[in-house]
Amino acid sequence: MLTIFLFLSAAVILTGIFDYGFSIWSIIASFTRWTGGEMIGEFVGLKNYSELIYDYVFVKSFMNTLILMGIYVIATTLLGLFLASLLHVGLKGSSVFKVIYLIPLSFSFPVSAAMWAWMYTPERGVINTILRSINLDFLTQPWTSSPSQSLLCIAIAYVWQFSGFATIIYYAGLQAVPPELAEAAEIDGASTFQKYIYVYWPLQKSTTVSVLAILLIYALRIFDLPWLLTGGGPAHSSEVLSVYIYRTTYNQYAFGYGAAIGIVMLIIAIVTVVPVLRVTVTKRGA
Amino acid sequence: MIMSLSRVLLYALMLIFAFFCMLPIYSAVNIALKSGEELVKGPATLVMRPTFMSFVKAFKLINKNLVNSIKFTVPATLISTILGSMSGYALSKIRFRGAGVLSFVIILALYIPPISIMIPLVSFMRHLGLYNTIYGLILTHTAYGMPVTTLLFRNYYTEIPDEIVESAEIDGCGLFDIYRLILLPLSIPGFIVVLIFQFTNIWNDFFFGLVLTMGAENQPVTVAVANLEGTTFVARNIHMAGALIAAIPVLLIYVLLTKWIVRGLLQGAIKR
Repeated sequence: MLTIFLFLSAAVILTGIFDYGFSIWSIIASFTRWTGGEMIGEFVGLKNYSELIYDYVFVKSFMNTLILMGIYVIATTLLGLFLASLLHVGLKGSSVFKVIYLIPLSFSFPVSAAMWAWMYTPERGVINTILRSINLDFLTQPWTSSPSQSLLCIAIAYVWQFSGFATIIYYAGLQAVPPELAEAAEIDGASTFQKYIYVYWPLQKSTTVSVLAILLIYALRIFDLPWLLTGGGPAHSSEVLSVYIYRTTYNQYAFGYGAAIGIVMLIIAIVTVVPVLRVTVTKRGA
Repeated sequence: MIMSLSRVLLYALMLIFAFFCMLPIYSAVNIALKSGEELVKGPATLVMRPTFMSFVKAFKLINKNLVNSIKFTVPATLISTILGSMSGYALSKIRFRGAGVLSFVIILALYIPPISIMIPLVSFMRHLGLYNTIYGLILTHTAYGMPVTTLLFRNYYTEIPDEIVESAEIDGCGLFDIYRLILLPLSIPGFIVVLIFQFTNIWNDFFFGLVLTMGAENQPVTVAVANLEGTTFVARNIHMAGALIAAIPVLLIYVLLTKWIVRGLLQGAIKR
């Protein structure tokens, strides 16, 4: 028994303190007025939470968080399945494309933010310059400087960064389909396209759960690109909970209030993770 | 076989997405190679007279941060990998009550949003005197690396047949000897995967570096690169050159060791 504990001690102690302990600390802090000096503030009951309801920026960033998570997870999953299928057909050169699709995943967020800032610059940015050069001036957009587009711009950058990840997992999922099944369909006269619709894709359910389980981890960590690309602007149009927490905590020293928003984020995590993990856990029979 | 028309269509689709993948990278390299005069034309037009001056200037600005990043990435990678191998072994090869629940609890920690525990983390580090130190970053990255390294090793060891471990048990091997003499020699591919996975994660981290450091002294290169932007005295070609310098180590790993990267990405995805 002692040896088992020795093997597990680091994982148990570190996740116990840094993940679960700090979560509890955050929950306690959310009931206090705390400016950061001490270990915890003075107890104020539900005051922070009741203030949240009347906070326009909180409500806006709550909605934006759900929208951004949703677009990011759904678009990345669909694109991943689509690209994996293209690669899986097995045309010459597919392996090169696989590496190319994976490259955006290698960049840290400050690097991808620097790249996408140049893509979106309205005046001399990459997208608008290309549109003008092929006489499609009417398609040029204000991108991140427009309140109606900023959130979508951030979502596109996240999809760009992570679609290769989803592609790799789906590619392995497609490869796991027994070739006899596709061959049987071929004998029945199915085209390549039909083989994917009727044979390969319906067999990707458990792979899809894996993809969702992984993308959700990153969706719950969304902070970096909105923080770096727009800072939540213009006019809070791309404000998400994480960026708002960071600013309330460090600009206004409202640690208790920031913690309360953090707990809302934690609730989003619990609510979204339960359905995904229930499928994987029941599958595993654990 | 596929007719040539659909073949053209498939290539076209693959190329369109490759273009989408590469366009931001092309413009980044383009900008970084441009001199001040060419910069006004923007990032889309191809650079006419490439110069490496921006890279030299950017390197001077961030070389200390590159060293900082190495100083915490290497130890945190090694420590979190070794500890993850130990807990992954215990959770997959030793039978004890609660092993399933414990695995679940450790792996579930991956879903706790870092922003939700940011305030306690920063307070904790300040009170321990580890705020704005390399040691603080090593501890933080090791701690938050535990769920994923445990998961990766648990999935890896599950594939090793139980019979190997059982026969050693019958021969009277203790748990530690089984780990040292039997599992570790079989773990080399597992270690390569996890070491690479952790190195790329920790090197690329921005969030923890942002909230746990202040000023250039101990700042990771990712934070330094983000700070180059918006400073009036740093031109945007230099900012981009700095970003590319910071990206090179992990980019090289992705291009040269794609096979191992893919293994790592899949090893976390497989659920057993």
